[in-house]
Amino acid sequence: MIDFGRVQKELQECSRDMAASGIKVSPKSDNLARLVGTIPGPIGTPYEGGTFQIDISLPDGYPFEPPKMQFATKVWHPNISSQSGAICLDILKDQWSPALTLKTALLSVQALLSAPEPDDPQDAVVAQQYIREHQTFLGTARYWTESFAKASSLGVEEKVQRLVEMGFAEAHVRSALEAVGGDENLALEKLCSG
Amino acid sequence: MQNKDGPQADGELEAATSNPTPDFDDWAKFGDDDIMQQQTAIRAEEAEKAPFVGDKEPLSSLAAEYQSGSPILLEKIKVLGEKYAAIRRTRGDGNCFFRSFMFSYLEHILESQDRAEVDRAKSNVEQCRKTLQSLGYADFTFEDFFALFLEQLESVLQGNGTSISQEELLLRSRDQSISDYVVMFFRFVTSGEIRKRSEFFEPFIMGLTNATVEQFCKSSVEPMGEESDHVHITALSDALGVPIRVVYLDRSSCDSAGVSVNHHDFIPAVGGLPNASGSTETVSPFITLLYRPGHYDILYSK
Repeated sequence: MIDFGRVQKELQECSRDMAASGIKVSPKSDNLARLVGTIPGPIGTPYEGGTFQIDISLPDGYPFEPPKMQFATKVWHPNISSQSGAICLDILKDQWSPALTLKTALLSVQALLSAPEPDDPQDAVVAQQYIREHQTFLGTARYWTESFAKASSLGVEEKVQRLVEMGFAEAHVRSALEAVGGDENLALEKLCSG
Repeated sequence: MQNKDGPQADGELEAATSNPTPDFDDWAKFGDDDIMQQQTAIRAEEAEKAPFVGDKEPLSSLAAEYQSGSPILLEKIKVLGEKYAAIRRTRGDGNCFFRSFMFSYLEHILESQDRAEVDRAKSNVEQCRKTLQSLGYADFTFEDFFALFLEQLESVLQGNGTSISQEELLLRSRDQSISDYVVMFFRFVTSGEIRKRSEFFEPFIMGLTNATVEQFCKSSVEPMGEESDHVHITALSDALGVPIRVVYLDRSSCDSAGVSVNHHDFIPAVGGLPNASGSTETVSPFITLLYRPGHYDILYSK
């Protein structure tokens, strides 16, 4: 059985110091076994300015078993699957301890955003890029942050739509937007000059 | 078996083909889940083989285990037989030291009805609580584990409404919802003590794992199933103020004077001073554990 008393206390503690940590955990419904965590992208990383949502589900053995965490927001990172959002982090597996909490686990996920470990990848494609074409990696990660992790990123699909309607191929539009970090006008310039 | 596998395999195939995106990284994700599942399976298998805490067995059962094994070990078991009468095995799940300590300690209180010892232990537990608080642990992360241990400690004393029998103690030690909580309580106490006296423990930890004190506590003390070493034993013994004797059953042999069995007494440090084991202390341990490389069981004196 999940120790719901403890989960309650964790949620209270988390909301108490949300202002300081920037980390939020809230129940998905009235069932405390499914929660959503929110972490701000760390400053000085390609994730800066983004807000990342993480789906959390608590196994029956919680807090003896680790919470299951998965990015709901798409993110470009060597240790996070770009497809599924699965996270490769030791404390979510065999290094979990009941001494940890949802908040400390989310803080570790946030720290992972700052310090990728490409030698122990979750996403082999991203990890290859991180090692071999680091500039491209940074650009892509920034673009994904712009596109998926910002409130304004809702507009990206519309930008794509508009540029496609001007007669550019969608693949070109997307790579142009990616190259300029999501700015529609710069992307248009790039498309015209290319 | 093959018939059973058939539909399952089909199901997987279906799931795979109905997935529209090419999962480059699926192998990695599957690997992790696979490992977790495998670990669960291994634990379940272990659970079938042995309870968390076994029944008391005569020492001869230990000899039987090594019948066709090393002659040194058989000799040593014979020597053990001069002092010890019985063994109680614990499950080899990485928590065996803490589990052995738990049962042995509570059984000692149950048999001795030593109220003074319980009062002393309680005040040490309060100290441990303060240690964790001062180290910045949130109360709710450890309070349930503390409460459950104190409850067990109360219940082995007779004369209050909740007192329990030897059989009940054994049942509780085998009940995961109690046993694991007490193990975790000890892990908290151990981690708190190591962090509090990090300067003392640092060189031992460096020698063991080349990790920092912080890393060591996070990766080798606080997670369930992480095995214990002399660092853990020293810290727990000091924190709770309970002396522990560990008898070593391994293949090392002393050349000339025939076979002897080594033991080491962990005598609690007094007033935060380093653990001065081997000194002329008069404290003698009432807990004796048998160590075989990688595993601890409980030993009973004659």
